Amino acid sequence: MPFQRPVLWVHDEALGPRNPALLAWPQAPALFVFDSGWIREASISRKRVGFLYESALALPLSLRKGDVAAEVMAFAKRHKADGVVSSTPVDPRLERIADAIDEQLPLELLDPEPFVALRRPPRLGRFSRYWREAESVVWEGFVSSAS
Amino acid sequence: MDDPVTQLPAPPPLNWAVAEDDLPRKFPNRDVFAQHLEQLFPQIEGGLSPLRGGRDAAEQQLERMNAKRYGRSRNHLDGAVTQLSPYIRHGVLSLAEVREAVFDQLRQRRQQREDGATLIKELGWRDFWQRMWTGLGDQINDNQEELNTGHDPNSYGRNVPDDIRTGRTGLACMDRFQADLVETGWLHNHARLWLAAYVVHWRRVHWKAGADWFLRHLLDGDPASNHLSWQWVASSFSHKPYFFNRDNLERYSQGRFCTDCPSAGCCPFEGSYAQLENQLFATPAASHDTGGTHGRGRGATFARPSAATARPKR
Repeated sequence: MPFQRPVLWVHDEALGPRNPALLAWPQAPALFVFDSGWIREASISRKRVGFLYESALALPLSLRKGDVAAEVMAFAKRHKADGVVSSTPVDPRLERIADAIDEQLPLELLDPEPFVALRRPPRLGRFSRYWREAESVVWEGFVSSAS
Repeated sequence: MDDPVTQLPAPPPLNWAVAEDDLPRKFPNRDVFAQHLEQLFPQIEGGLSPLRGGRDAAEQQLERMNAKRYGRSRNHLDGAVTQLSPYIRHGVLSLAEVREAVFDQLRQRRQQREDGATLIKELGWRDFWQRMWTGLGDQINDNQEELNTGHDPNSYGRNVPDDIRTGRTGLACMDRFQADLVETGWLHNHARLWLAAYVVHWRRVHWKAGADWFLRHLLDGDPASNHLSWQWVASSFSHKPYFFNRDNLERYSQGRFCTDCPSAGCCPFEGSYAQLENQLFATPAASHDTGGTHGRGRGATFARPSAATARPKR
């Protein structure tokens, strides 16, 4: 059943207007959390945090720092949300946070727009194999004005 | 009046109630923002990068993109590289948006597909790394293969030496790369390769130590492209280790380092590839850098920057 009052969790792979959660729910309260544990453990420099901060400032987001899943849950409770929507992450760290949220409140992950939509999963391991399958599909969107 | 360069764009309004202890969103200028950041995150090091985050900065960078010139010059430190990688890394720009921007530019300038082919392929590398990461997960931190250097894996140091981290190697090139990394959070791809090869092969440091060091600083820091590229240099994601010599570095850096280098005369990168290979590795057949796209053999054509650091040519 679709959510009635979701909140959005925006993470550090999707700090732009093409974030599918922001596109799907433009009026919903949205949150970005600086992951204090990651910043500390990976010794992330202030310039990286500043870059994330400036990127987050360009979007309609509440900003917090701390334990990400706990902050998202507190945000959801504050807004009496019936679910959380986010964009599908690649980073396993973000996947673990997503799992922790989903244990407490339904979480829907939306896939970002792909670079190339392949009809079947490409063979990886070697870029050349992937590119053999992907290149022509990528260029389907291009029609030269000079041709 | 504040310098307009230091102004931050006004954040879009929120249509929900803000908690009292939410982090601030309004700053009169970037200097005040930097001060707040020190108070909010007192435990972390350094200052702001001159490269600004956010959508406005990303769009300005995108407008500077020149796909055709990129294809011709990207291997040179002063080449027309895009510097879009931090924005792509954090989704400020989607890969699909950049692809469309390249197509639009080709159409507007009445250019052909081949004029944008190199840049589109580089975007493909970014997509490839992300797909690899989805499959590998946390195994991105592990050697993908055994090292092919002939050296005992335990002989590699587990920390980046202080003189490298602090830019006091006495090598003008490496100290400049360290300064760019630490001060700006961005390095040209070729510089990433040279610095990684120096750390791993000349100083015999484990690739993971160097990769973690990069991730602390790179605005586009992404374990997929970063770790696998370090592994490619090290040879645990490649059949051969990657290395270079002074001629190569001087050529693609327009000789900006060697003339006044305090280590001129005792440069560790001086020599033929055969000499350096014998010096650095216990087994033959390493990949050396010709830097161009028409080099000899596998691994000679890799130096292609943009959304990532070095990548294996396979």
